[in-house]
Amino acid sequence: MSGDHIHPEPTSFLRKHVFSVDHKVIAKQFMWFGLFWLLIGGIMAMLIRWQLAYPGTPMPVFGKLFFSSTGGVIDPASYNTLFTMHGTIMIFLGLTPLMIGCFGNWCIPLMIGARDMIFPLLNMLSFWTVMLGGAVAFYSLFVPLGGSEAGWTGYPTLSTTVANQGTGETLWAVAVFLIGASSIMGGINYMTTVIRLRAPGMRWTDLPLTIWGLFFTAVLNVLFLPVIGSAMILLVLDRVFGTQFYVPASIMAGGGGGDPILYQHLFWIFGHPEVYILILPAWGIVSDLLSFFARKPAFAYRVTVGAMMAVTVLSAVVYGHHMFTTGLSAMLGESFMLLTMIISVPGEILFFNWLHTIWRGSLRMDTPMLFALSVIFVFGLGGLTGLYLATISTDIYLHDTYFVVGHFHLTMAASALFATFGAIYFWFPKMFGRKLNETLGKIHFWGSLVPLTIVFCTMFVSGYAGMPRRYYDHTSADYLKPLQHLNVTTSLAAFTLGIAQLVFAFNFIKSRWWGEKASENPWEVGTLEWTLPTPVPHYNFKEIPNVVCGPHEFSNPAIPDGKDWIYQTEPLAEQPA
Amino acid sequence: MATAVELQREDPRARVNATLGMVFFIGSWSMAFGTLFLSYFILRQRVGIWPPPGIALPSFPMAAAATLVLLLSSVVLHRAVARVRRGAPGAAALWAAATAIGVLFAGMQAWLWYDLVLSGRTVESGAYESLFFGLTWVHAAHVACGLVALLWMQVGLLTGRYGVHRISPVSNAAMFWHFVDVVWVVLFVAFFVL
Repeated sequence: MSGDHIHPEPTSFLRKHVFSVDHKVIAKQFMWFGLFWLLIGGIMAMLIRWQLAYPGTPMPVFGKLFFSSTGGVIDPASYNTLFTMHGTIMIFLGLTPLMIGCFGNWCIPLMIGARDMIFPLLNMLSFWTVMLGGAVAFYSLFVPLGGSEAGWTGYPTLSTTVANQGTGETLWAVAVFLIGASSIMGGINYMTTVIRLRAPGMRWTDLPLTIWGLFFTAVLNVLFLPVIGSAMILLVLDRVFGTQFYVPASIMAGGGGGDPILYQHLFWIFGHPEVYILILPAWGIVSDLLSFFARKPAFAYRVTVGAMMAVTVLSAVVYGHHMFTTGLSAMLGESFMLLTMIISVPGEILFFNWLHTIWRGSLRMDTPMLFALSVIFVFGLGGLTGLYLATISTDIYLHDTYFVVGHFHLTMAASALFATFGAIYFWFPKMFGRKLNETLGKIHFWGSLVPLTIVFCTMFVSGYAGMPRRYYDHTSADYLKPLQHLNVTTSLAAFTLGIAQLVFAFNFIKSRWWGEKASENPWEVGTLEWTLPTPVPHYNFKEIPNVVCGPHEFSNPAIPDGKDWIYQTEPLAEQPA
Repeated sequence: MATAVELQREDPRARVNATLGMVFFIGSWSMAFGTLFLSYFILRQRVGIWPPPGIALPSFPMAAAATLVLLLSSVVLHRAVARVRRGAPGAAALWAAATAIGVLFAGMQAWLWYDLVLSGRTVESGAYESLFFGLTWVHAAHVACGLVALLWMQVGLLTGRYGVHRISPVSNAAMFWHFVDVVWVVLFVAFFVL
């Protein structure tokens, strides 16, 4: 066993809780960081929904707080900043830190039997880089001319100085760059850790599916975050130094100039893998949770891994479906359409494997399981509507409507978020030694699932009816006036969804310090982290465990003592011949 | 004075770990520069006639000389790492020579920029200049980081912190420098050969 990555337990407060290199502390730092930004992004979503449902009406409470100069009404520029930063924050500062930063850090060493990440210092640097990125993003909201208004995709020429002279947009690009750098550091750490630090006896096929999901995400992070990094460098050069990468300004001088479409290529080369960066860990977590709570082995483990691998590879070659309306050559467009359709095949394989996993299982309907089940549902809705967006003929009609908004929220936002909630409810007892309250958890679950379905399914209807996204006030166009009731419905459901998250926030804070004490293995699951005492000691494993069976050996007749589960370190009984 | 603990041979597993991590980093950086080169080829294709007629171009002889200089520094650095690995004497001197040649390259790069600016071409002049300055700036930032790393290792080699007993930081720094070198060769081919 390599002794290189084992470090002594720190004693000072700063080294222990702030500048810690311990993966468990860093995981919790990522968790608080992600939850904080989820709150900010969530408030922004509420403000957006208020403006869309009741345009020009002063917003209660928040209106006086944030928009006192207009008497509580959200002005158009602020509205643009709100939807831009809502997207940026939720993706880069909410979900990524929570799912990949927190659970990547928490699960990988504990589930593969390692004492820490392989590069602990790099791990700490990853957290503090995203922290800096978050600070820059936050600061960008308060500079003269306000924050970025170009949408989370930051398309030129909206994101260039032609449209926006303020430093907010530049700071936005810098923030995205920093957050990307943090993800790359994390990804390199995760990949190397999984490859090099698996406990003896742990074959690749003994890895929990959570680890597989995080591993593929790490690969995508390492390969495609640099692409957005470079795209952001070029954007900053354009904005600050007057280069012409994205601005077609110099047509008169030398017959050439920049190209706004270039940015779209670069952005989506990154952007499409990014949605799989967010969903692959969710798929991994859900695959594990379904098996854990159905008390059955994950159906067709190797096929699930193969399907995730296929998605990882395909995710790199489908990005053009975001650009069907840019005048992409017909042949290129059709290739992208075909490849996008193909990616639904491994997606469906995953679905069938999940359904087979729970089929005739002894389902335990605890909160983590409810969230895992809901991922099948919301991802199903999002995935099926994706087919219409993959098809060129329908996409040209649906492009930039609320149909798209509904689709990507159900897939990459709701699925990833619900899987993250499932993961929080599931690992909370090991992280903090206490259980999240189950009753509040169930209220949170139903209070989230039902309004969320209404929010995004209503968006499908309004989008199909032709309502464009990113408009400040839909009632300003005559043809959209009859659709305003859909906006009101969406917003009322969204407010309910927002209130349900307060239940979670209350539950989280209350259970963190005053919750019911959890036993060391409350869910009766056999993966390596549950062999450890709570709280997990600094060095994790006193002895590096020897892995002798897979992560999902539930209800195996060869399990001794009449249990229905077995630790990965315990041998199965000899099968009678 | 190197203590007995410091002179323990580096755990071979840890060495593989460090090298593997660096390989992944290089892979990631390759994608970053790959993106810049993709931008180069897309914009070049959009412009049509390349290089755009009637503009002053960066000096070919100087760029070719800079390429040779950078390649030379990589070769010398490679020899230095081989000496560190064998524990042979003179590693630090060779390392210093490679670093000095690297600094010479940085000077030649600065001359290329200065020469272009003197002939009135700035980063704002057009797509060609945007690409030339933008891409070489990003590359030069990596050269600067590489030089800092080389100097850091130089100090370590001289104080005995790094050596045959702890080689992975040294070999990783060298790997990064070779990568920076390869990127320059691609830049040279893109701007001066194709």
